[in-house]
Order: sequence, then structure tokens, then C-alpha cells
Amino acid sequence: MRKRFVFRSLSRAAHPVLLTVLAALAGLAGNAQQGLLRLNLDYAVALPAGAFRDVVSHGSFRGFDASLMYGLNDRVSIGFNTGFQDFYQKYPRQVYTTSDGSDISAVVTNSVQVVPLMAKVQYRLGSSRVWQPYAGLAAGGYSVLYRQYLGEFAGSNNRFRFGFRPELGIYIPFSGQGESGLTISGVYNYLPFHSAGISSMNSFGIRLGASFPIRE
Amino acid sequence: MKKMFLPVMWVGMASWVLAGCTKEPVNHLTEEETRIYITNHDSTVSFSAFHTFSVADSVAVINDNQFVQRDQNAFDQAFLAALKTQLQARGFTLVDKTAKPDLGINVSRLYNNYTGLVSYTDYYGDYYGYWDPYYWGYPGYSYYFPTYYGVYNITQGGLSVDMFDLKDASGTNQLKYVWNGLVRGEGLFNPANASQEAQALLSQSAYLKTN
Repeated sequence: MRKRFVFRSLSRAAHPVLLTVLAALAGLAGNAQQGLLRLNLDYAVALPAGAFRDVVSHGSFRGFDASLMYGLNDRVSIGFNTGFQDFYQKYPRQVYTTSDGSDISAVVTNSVQVVPLMAKVQYRLGSSRVWQPYAGLAAGGYSVLYRQYLGEFAGSNNRFRFGFRPELGIYIPFSGQGESGLTISGVYNYLPFHSAGISSMNSFGIRLGASFPIRE
Repeated sequence: MKKMFLPVMWVGMASWVLAGCTKEPVNHLTEEETRIYITNHDSTVSFSAFHTFSVADSVAVINDNQFVQRDQNAFDQAFLAALKTQLQARGFTLVDKTAKPDLGINVSRLYNNYTGLVSYTDYYGDYYGYWDPYYWGYPGYSYYFPTYYGVYNITQGGLSVDMFDLKDASGTNQLKYVWNGLVRGEGLFNPANASQEAQALLSQSAYLKTN
């Protein structure tokens, strides 16, 4: 017999933001249901942050995110997260002077593909039947393919880096008793890179997708 | 099992669609944007010390680091003319090579050949989805390829312009390099691009002038 979602009120004394932060710090996390295996599939948009903006400042609308989550109880679920995000930016022709004194005139294109491979934990915060806020934290590795093109000539710098990703989102069931629903969330990818003169490839992200059970 | 099918299919489709949506840089370049211009110079040299120059009347063709011939095709002629115009615009005077020019300039077309091997078994694996056995009237069949290989050959070209100090050669017994320009990319040897290529090389070398 599949359990239905149980909506519980949070303590009125606890501030929701504080709870979110505590949940993230404690490694808790989203829309959980005990014993249920769920698949979350999201369309992903990302905006580079910090030093990454020196490489690519344009937002990326080419991405997806997928999580396979197992409900430990009605609030906490754990699982695996992966996805894909493609960053691209072409800069107008410019003359660059290299350290050896060469002058190179080129149209420079930076191309970055990021694939997270992470363990993830979610904690459901809300108790409404209409929408359920949740907090999540994913930690693990990012596989980064970074290519810089001078004209049509590419140099690549591919790295696997450890990082983490806090997340805040809302789960909206398709129906009151439904086990499937819409998810909207915001994430921050903390991705130290430390290669090719780039200290980090951090980014903000927005996810829009669906969550549905695949196995009891 | 039925419940598993839909999510797995969604994941597969999402992966295929979005991975395919990677914006490939080379596919988003115009022919002009593919080209790069690299210049180097001897920083100890003051070009204001030179006043006259001469350019070789033909272009050296070098294939895999081996000299092949001197040539003067449509591109060569257009580029040599454009190069002279650019240098004259910067105050240098074009003289015959017999008139003891201060600077001598050689232009070379460089070709490098790369040979590779492609496995048709791998090729088939990559393009499996593009072919439809239904088309040939054999639904449910799959394609079979024996393991065999094909050889491909890629030739990459470059244009090199080398400038030498002739004025001080007699004292050192050396033709000392003072400036070099290299162009690579698509449409490199198209005569229509010759003028733009000469201009690009010189315009990024602001020090290359007589005063």
C-alpha cells in the first residue's frame, strides 16, 4: 500500500528561512514519501557568477537536470543527481598579446559543458496540499569540459572537480492526492575550478520540471 | 515495468535532445571569424631605422616542411600586391631587390597533412539511428558492418610572412628576422581575402612604421 503525502505544520516558532538554512547545512533535504523512488526531470537555466563571468557572462538556456530520489520518510529523501548545462559565448575579434610577446587577432569563443554527478538529499519544508517548499543539498563531482577557440582552433581543459549545490524549491502536485507534480527550484552551483587561470565556475540556476514515482 | 518505461524514455530523450543542443563554436563562425592572425617581432628593433623594402616576387610553397616550388597563383599575386600597399601606407618605400633594400620579405604558403584512421564499426555505432531498415522493406532488421577501416587525410594550410633585416646583414653575415606574420583558418588562400589578410597582419603591428 503506497503511502500518501502527509502534510505537517512546521513549528510556528521556527522561521522558515532559518529552517531552510539549517536543513541545507545539516545535509537534509524535498518532496519525500517513505519507501518511494521518485524521478525528477527538469529543464535547467543557468547564469554564470563570480569569476566564471570572465569566461562566459551570458546565461545558458541549454540544460537539464535529473534526480533519482528515495524517500527515507515523509520529509527526507536521498538520491543521485545528474544533468547537463551548456555555456557558450563568442567574443568579437580582438588582438590579444601573449606572455611571449605575440599578438594574436582572433574571434574567441568559450564553450563550457558541465555534468554534475552528485549525491543529493532533500527535506520537505511545507505542509500544504497545494504546494510544498523544500530545501536540498547536492554534493559530489562536476565533470567540466572547457574549450576555448581562437577562430576555429581549439584548446581544451577538461577537469573533474568537487563541489556542492544548495537548492530551494517548490513541489506542486498535479492533483490533491497525486503522487506526481511540478517542481520549480533555484540552485547555486559552487564549483571551484582552479585551472586555466579560472578560479571558479559558479553559477545560479533555475529548474522547471516534473517529479513522479517510478517504484514503490 | 511499464511504469519504468516512460521515465527512462524521458531521460533518454532529454539527454539526446539537450546534448545535441550543445552550441558547437565552429558551427557558429563565419569564414572570416575562423581565421586567426599571429604576429611576432624583435622587440629590440626600431622599425624607424628602416626605410626601404622589397618583397619576393613569388611565394614559396612548403608541404610538410619540405620546399616544393615557388608559385605565383591568383592568390599569391593579390596578397603580394596588398602587402606592398600596406607597407607603403606605413611610410616604407618599395624598391627593387637589386637596390639594396633595408628590409626583405618572404611569403610562404605552408601545408601540413594529417592522416588518420576511422573504424567503420565505430562509425556505424555513432550513426545507427539515422538509418531506417523499414525503408528497405526489412522491419526489425539491424544493420551489420564487418570490422574494417578507412583512411582519411586532412590538409591544413597557413600563410607566413617573414621580414628580415638586410640593412645590417653585411656586418653580421646573418639575415636577422625582425617581424613575422602568420594567418590560418578557412578561406585563407581565396584571392578575394588576400587584401583583408594583409591589412589585418599590418594593422595589429602598429610599431611597423617608419616614424
